[in-house]
Amino acid sequence: MTVTSTTRPIPAQDRRSARTTPRRPRRPRPVAAAVTVALIGVFALGPVYWLLVTALTPDSDAFAFPPRLWPRRITLEHFANLAENPALLRYLTNSVIVSLTTALLTVIVSAYTAYSFAKFRYRGRRSLMYLILASQMFPQALLLITLYLVFSAYGLLNTYLALILSFSTFTLPLCVWMLKGFFDAIPDELIEAAKVDGAGQGAIIHRILLPVSLPGLIATGLFAFIRGWNDFIFALTLAGPDKQTLPPGLVNTYLGEFQAAWPDLMAASLVVSLPVVIGFIILQRYLVAGLTSGAVKG
Amino acid sequence: MTTQTVGGREPRRGLPDRAFGFLLTLPALVLFVAIVLYPLIASLTTSLFNQSLVLPGRSFAGLENFRSVLAGQFWSVLRNTLVFTGACTLIPFVLGFGLALALHTRLPGRGLLRGLFLFPWVIPGVVVSFLWMWIFNANYGLLNGLLVQLGLLDEPISWLGQPGTATLAVIVAKSWASFPWMMVMLLAGLQTVPQTLHEAAALDGAGTLRRFWHVTLPHLRGIIGVVLLLEAIWNFQHFDIIYVLTGGGPAGATTTFAVSVYDTAFKGFDLGRAGALGALWMVLLSILVVGYVWASERGEKR
Repeated sequence: MTVTSTTRPIPAQDRRSARTTPRRPRRPRPVAAAVTVALIGVFALGPVYWLLVTALTPDSDAFAFPPRLWPRRITLEHFANLAENPALLRYLTNSVIVSLTTALLTVIVSAYTAYSFAKFRYRGRRSLMYLILASQMFPQALLLITLYLVFSAYGLLNTYLALILSFSTFTLPLCVWMLKGFFDAIPDELIEAAKVDGAGQGAIIHRILLPVSLPGLIATGLFAFIRGWNDFIFALTLAGPDKQTLPPGLVNTYLGEFQAAWPDLMAASLVVSLPVVIGFIILQRYLVAGLTSGAVKG
Repeated sequence: MTTQTVGGREPRRGLPDRAFGFLLTLPALVLFVAIVLYPLIASLTTSLFNQSLVLPGRSFAGLENFRSVLAGQFWSVLRNTLVFTGACTLIPFVLGFGLALALHTRLPGRGLLRGLFLFPWVIPGVVVSFLWMWIFNANYGLLNGLLVQLGLLDEPISWLGQPGTATLAVIVAKSWASFPWMMVMLLAGLQTVPQTLHEAAALDGAGTLRRFWHVTLPHLRGIIGVVLLLEAIWNFQHFDIIYVLTGGGPAGATTTFAVSVYDTAFKGFDLGRAGALGALWMVLLSILVVGYVWASERGEKR
């Protein structure tokens, strides 16, 4: 099948002859595909464009009505405003600390769990898998009622630890599933061979399993980092202004103190989104596989 | 593990192995019990007590909290949650499926487009809210500007200030953030449809539409069920975008279960009623979860 036969409309006789003479099927024509992409694309990417334009437009132009779709002047002043706000820098530091620790803790815990699920068979394993997976199905607002009281009783409110523990726990299910996929792909023979050579269980994990699946560990860690970075409800509830991360921090700042500083808020939104977008560009390959298996295999 | 080294390749998964395998899950299990299971049970128990977030002590209340919630906000919250869940599951599905089909062709630049389309889904939920809050802004918003310029509106309207349009705004924002996930999942599904089936159907004279209906759709039935149920489960408990965009308002028009439970507990300090509302919420949610487990189990068997 040539490329032209799919792009050019085929005359009626041709189409009839296609029915009698066997030929390979055509995929849907790119014309229809292009129209679909263009229509949905305006809705999908228009707001992203507007986010960029607003963040780069001087205040006087940003508050024009009707809005100017194409900016006359470009400025970086809104990004400079962000850097001068000490509260925002504190939220940023908190976000980095909490998300990095979450990523580390999640990778360690989920690596052991995923190895257990992938390479061991014991009674209750399936129930355990479902239990862990189910934890993402429980509504967090409901759990927070007690979590708040528990963390309060142990003096953990307004600490990094409260955020790290809750972020890690709710990221764990998907991370276990992602890593299980990687470990499933490691041949049993590799582990058997190590056993025959006299390697203990610890050595098998730390000298064979983990180094072999390093890309998987990095992908999982990046994913956990993003989940921690994006979280809103736990950081909003369990931490005060001095330990809060960027998402509730931005809400405090721009829906409270600096209400209606829209261009600044759009600039801040871009800055918060940047690490996540970069992370996903790196992750894309692993992510689709991980999410697909996680969702489909349930 | 001396028994193994002496015996060579004998019992592959012996008893010590099994115990060790289970031990490996302990850290995750501890986190799960401490952060999920215990809080869940304790929160549900709270529904039977009069308890405040800020005052110590509690007294047994029987089913009084349930009675009060069922006579109060429950029904309007249920309606809001169902409208939100239904719309924010179906709209992203249609958009995502459309894009998945379009990007499954030889469209030039489809790799780049697929990456770009992920943006709304990867960014934090609060950013989604900020962005749409700005677009829906009554005074300087892009939407009012476009509609007035096109002559579709006489004067700017306060989208987030009226119950009907605020519901619409929340649905638009959440759908915008969700369609990329649907697209990715369905695109992955489309890639599993064997090309030979399409070839055979084409041989029998089936056109594009008929092949979509008789080959593609039946093949994707499992994954469509799973993505719809999973998205519905997530929407049924969604919090971030609604809470930041409208805070549940105006006049409670966008107050879903998540927002209502949160506000009752952390603004009204009434843990008993929050627990009761949460318990009813859990019951409804578990119907969706059971459906999801059933659908994915069936998918695995096939």
